[in-house]
Amino acid sequence: MRWIRVPLLLLLLGTGIPSAADEFPPLSEGPDATEIARKQENVLRGDSAYMEATMTIESPRLPAPRVVTMRNWDDRRNKRSFVRILAPTKDAGTGFLMKRPNLWMFVPRVERTMRIPPSMMLQSWMGSDFTNDDLVRESSQLDDYDHNLLGVDPAPPGHEGKRAWVVEFLPHEDAPVVWGRIVSWIEQEHYSPLRQEFYDEDGVKLRVFELGDIRESQGRWFPHRWSMQPLDKNGHRTTLEIRTIRFDEIFDDSIFTTRNLKRTER
Amino acid sequence: MKDLQRRLREDGVFVRAVLLAFERDAFLRRIAWRNVWRNGRRTVVVVIAIAVGIAGTVLSMAINFGMVVQMVETAIATDLGHLQIHARGYEDDPGLARRLDDGGRMGIAALDVAENVTAWAPRVRSDGLLTSPRASAGVSVLAIDPEREARITVLADSVTQGAYLDGEKRRILIGEALAERLRVRLGSKVVLSATDVRGDLAGEAFRVRGLFRTPSSELNRSTVYLQLEEAQRLFAMGDAISELAVRTADRDRVVGLQRHLVEELGEGVEVRNWEQLAPLLVYFVDMFDQMAWIVYAAVFIAMAFGIANVMLMSVFERTREIGVITSIGMSGPRVVAMVTWESLFLVGVGLVAGFVLSATGLFLLRDGIDLSRWGEGLNSMGVPSTIVPVVRTKDLVAPTVVAAVTGILAGLWPAVRASRARPAEALRHV
Amino acid sequence: MLELRLAWRNVWRNRRRTGLTVAATVFAVTLVVVFVAMAAGLHEKMIEDAVRLQSGHVAAAGRGYFEERTLDQFLELDQELFDELDGAPGVLGWAPRVISFGLLSKDTDARGVGVLGVDPERESSVTTLAGRLKRGDFVSAEASRGIVLGERLADNLDADLGDVLLLFSQSYSLETAYDLFTVVGVIKFPDITMDRSVAVISLADAQAFFAYEGRASEVAVLAKDADHAAAVAASLRTAIDGDAQVDVRTWDKLMPDLVQFIFIDDAGMYIMLVILVVVVGFGILNTILMSVLERTRELGVLLALGLRPGAVFRLVYVESLLLAGVGLLIGLAIGIPIVLYLQANPIPLGGDLAQATELFGMDPVMTWKLKPMNPIGSCITILGVAALAAFYPALKAARGRPVDALRSV
Repeated sequence: MRWIRVPLLLLLLGTGIPSAADEFPPLSEGPDATEIARKQENVLRGDSAYMEATMTIESPRLPAPRVVTMRNWDDRRNKRSFVRILAPTKDAGTGFLMKRPNLWMFVPRVERTMRIPPSMMLQSWMGSDFTNDDLVRESSQLDDYDHNLLGVDPAPPGHEGKRAWVVEFLPHEDAPVVWGRIVSWIEQEHYSPLRQEFYDEDGVKLRVFELGDIRESQGRWFPHRWSMQPLDKNGHRTTLEIRTIRFDEIFDDSIFTTRNLKRTER
Repeated sequence: MKDLQRRLREDGVFVRAVLLAFERDAFLRRIAWRNVWRNGRRTVVVVIAIAVGIAGTVLSMAINFGMVVQMVETAIATDLGHLQIHARGYEDDPGLARRLDDGGRMGIAALDVAENVTAWAPRVRSDGLLTSPRASAGVSVLAIDPEREARITVLADSVTQGAYLDGEKRRILIGEALAERLRVRLGSKVVLSATDVRGDLAGEAFRVRGLFRTPSSELNRSTVYLQLEEAQRLFAMGDAISELAVRTADRDRVVGLQRHLVEELGEGVEVRNWEQLAPLLVYFVDMFDQMAWIVYAAVFIAMAFGIANVMLMSVFERTREIGVITSIGMSGPRVVAMVTWESLFLVGVGLVAGFVLSATGLFLLRDGIDLSRWGEGLNSMGVPSTIVPVVRTKDLVAPTVVAAVTGILAGLWPAVRASRARPAEALRHV
Repeated sequence: MLELRLAWRNVWRNRRRTGLTVAATVFAVTLVVVFVAMAAGLHEKMIEDAVRLQSGHVAAAGRGYFEERTLDQFLELDQELFDELDGAPGVLGWAPRVISFGLLSKDTDARGVGVLGVDPERESSVTTLAGRLKRGDFVSAEASRGIVLGERLADNLDADLGDVLLLFSQSYSLETAYDLFTVVGVIKFPDITMDRSVAVISLADAQAFFAYEGRASEVAVLAKDADHAAAVAASLRTAIDGDAQVDVRTWDKLMPDLVQFIFIDDAGMYIMLVILVVVVGFGILNTILMSVLERTRELGVLLALGLRPGAVFRLVYVESLLLAGVGLLIGLAIGIPIVLYLQANPIPLGGDLAQATELFGMDPVMTWKLKPMNPIGSCITILGVAALAAFYPALKAARGRPVDALRSV
């Protein structure tokens, strides 16, 4: 999961839609699969980004999906990130400051800052399918996978009319990745990922990660809707809708301070 | 008052006479020996009583002590070892911050020349999160040097599927219970995430090399074994280790070794023996031992009762015979001395039979009593499901002494009575 | 009938022999009764202490809770459930709880804790939780944001009475849940792990905190004793009438470790008892054999007078059973009052043992428990042993040839 990462990176659980990954005849020649994967990663990441997003969490627990709105300052170069929750009202003002390896949280109603202990880093973040660790972990790595071009799919699910490379990601033996393989549909035109399917080593599909709403933003064609569905948990889905994103911002150091955590008007 | 004095004097004279006859009169001894075999049935009954009593006591003690020994040995051989050496402060606040630098070189140097040490093994202990594609679980990480560890614990023998660690890279051993929880099997890839010594979260991939089942359900549920170097890399701790586990030749001399190591290694380390490492185990053993003594006492009394019964009856039975003997001129003290010799011989034969019976019983139980036939999954308390009897010298001596004393005393009383009865009275006895 | 009368008379003819045999039996019976009661008492106490410490005899929870233990599995605390609990026969008390986890911090650094939400009044009807308070008060019934910490947890947090702590977690509705709680009490959990990691708040607070209104993670139920747990569980299952969303479990399923310890302990004790009974059985065999040998002449006379061997066999057999029976009755008459006395007046343990026992969360007393199966089992065992033991002597008596017998002394 770590291989995909946007400012506010997320761990996703998936649900599944039947895949046709194996049905594509291999191309006799074509672009290098690793090259495709690199271009895809470049679409998703930048050295820094400011983002405003809405996270929608669907769960059997909830009569209606829960919607969280947030702002995120992500300074990848300096390995630090800041999140402020805007809505719902109950959580508004809550802030997270990540400075590797630490994660602080500020809760405005009681005006307290607390450092989340390392042992809790793998707990769910904000009730989503992302963990605290996903907020602080470094992005990984094209390097963890081998890439095979499976073929070209003229109509990936949910993106009819688009042509996509179908690339298989096979994790290296010693990569800290539990998946057996990941199959990714990558749009030919802009190299934006459209859909990713996660398989265990027995070939059972466990998660589906879908991306959509690909629009131009600051000259980049970027998917503004991300949706993760775990197939072994019925009714779960986390969707992130990115309303604003600005890449390669220069951030002031004062953003990434515990004092800033307490400044809720921001 | 006078009466009492006279009687005491008479008794004193009587006892002296008995002792004299007992000591000097070889003839009585011969008669007694012959008497033992003259009445074969009675002898058989008495011998059975003593033999069963002795064997019962010896076996029950051996089984009980066997249970205790096994509890302790299981804990020692599963995880503890006899001694563990840690950095100072580890006991109060275990964690990667308390570590022995240089791979515990100082400790190893001391152990290599210390007496009574048969093996030592370096370990790294910490916590982590083990993730499979479907689930994750908090685990205790125990990193070992597979070869050295095999000389301390029986982990290698606990592997039920797959194989023990053998130097192959990125291999992990997990408990059967944990494998079920994570829904992984032999060869599956898992990711271990843990906080390293800098507080950074690190993650590495491992493949399940083997599944184990130990007598501790705690280990089975939540402990994973790695190779030492891999854990040192994961935790970014260089060649430091968390502990040195030590096995000794003689468990009873562990405290001496411990004192020696403390002197040798100084303030920088904590040396704890297995009793200090597992206080609950020691409590269990104490509790068990105390309960066992109550049971021993019962078996002792039952044995004494059985022996006393037959001895009393076998001598009472002879009231008439003794009457005949005294009436033809054998003195009272000599009769008592003769009966005492008889009792001694009987008890002696009984003891020999008892030892033979005990030895037979112990031989039959040499592979242990398998409790698992009656109950499933007896593992979780760390109690072994097979009990192998263990005999201690004192457990042999105590029943022997009790049997001998009871047998002789129980024979003495009716003999004294019969010898003092007037012959006419004794002859009237049925 | 003739044999019975004859046997009865024979038994009382030789007082000394009878006395010895009976004494051996009395001893055995008394021992067996007291031992079995001791073990039963110890085990019941372990169970009851564990049950009263936390689990209850029976626990009801949402299906899957006992495996997953998340907020996803819950019980609806509605009137229907209350009626079912109140109406189920054998239920002496019940206590709903909300169980989850969270982060607790006094200053900046937080620690992960288990959060236990209890209704103090109801909880007291099932467990002794409130009685383990070291200082301060237990949580109050209403939502008052008071928190009771395990002793080691309080030390680790450097928190004491009156300190205000931030509890942070995730609610059932997947929102961040956080609130300030005031430390009102410090409690001593016998289990070290619990002592290091459990914080207790009131049920009302927990329901509000975790967005769990009208819900509970589990309901712990107290029955009369462990033996009634299965019946109570069954009646609860009937009461909820096949509600597929509710899982009802008895203490032995909730605490398998305890069951196994008891099993091991029982196995050890029964091995000892078997050896004891064998030793005693041989004692009985020996005394009866002796009495037969002693009476070879007398029995020979009976045979010579024309009594059939079968009748002699029966005579000796009935005699030994009578002996055993008398011993049995006296043994029970001694053993049962002893046990009843000890049952009413437990022996306090002293010193190290008391301290160690408290480590396990047990009261440092030694209790006895007389179960009906104890005297019944003793009767069957002793009579069985006597019947076995008498076989050989009776056979020997019946097989004697009158002429030889009369010639014997």
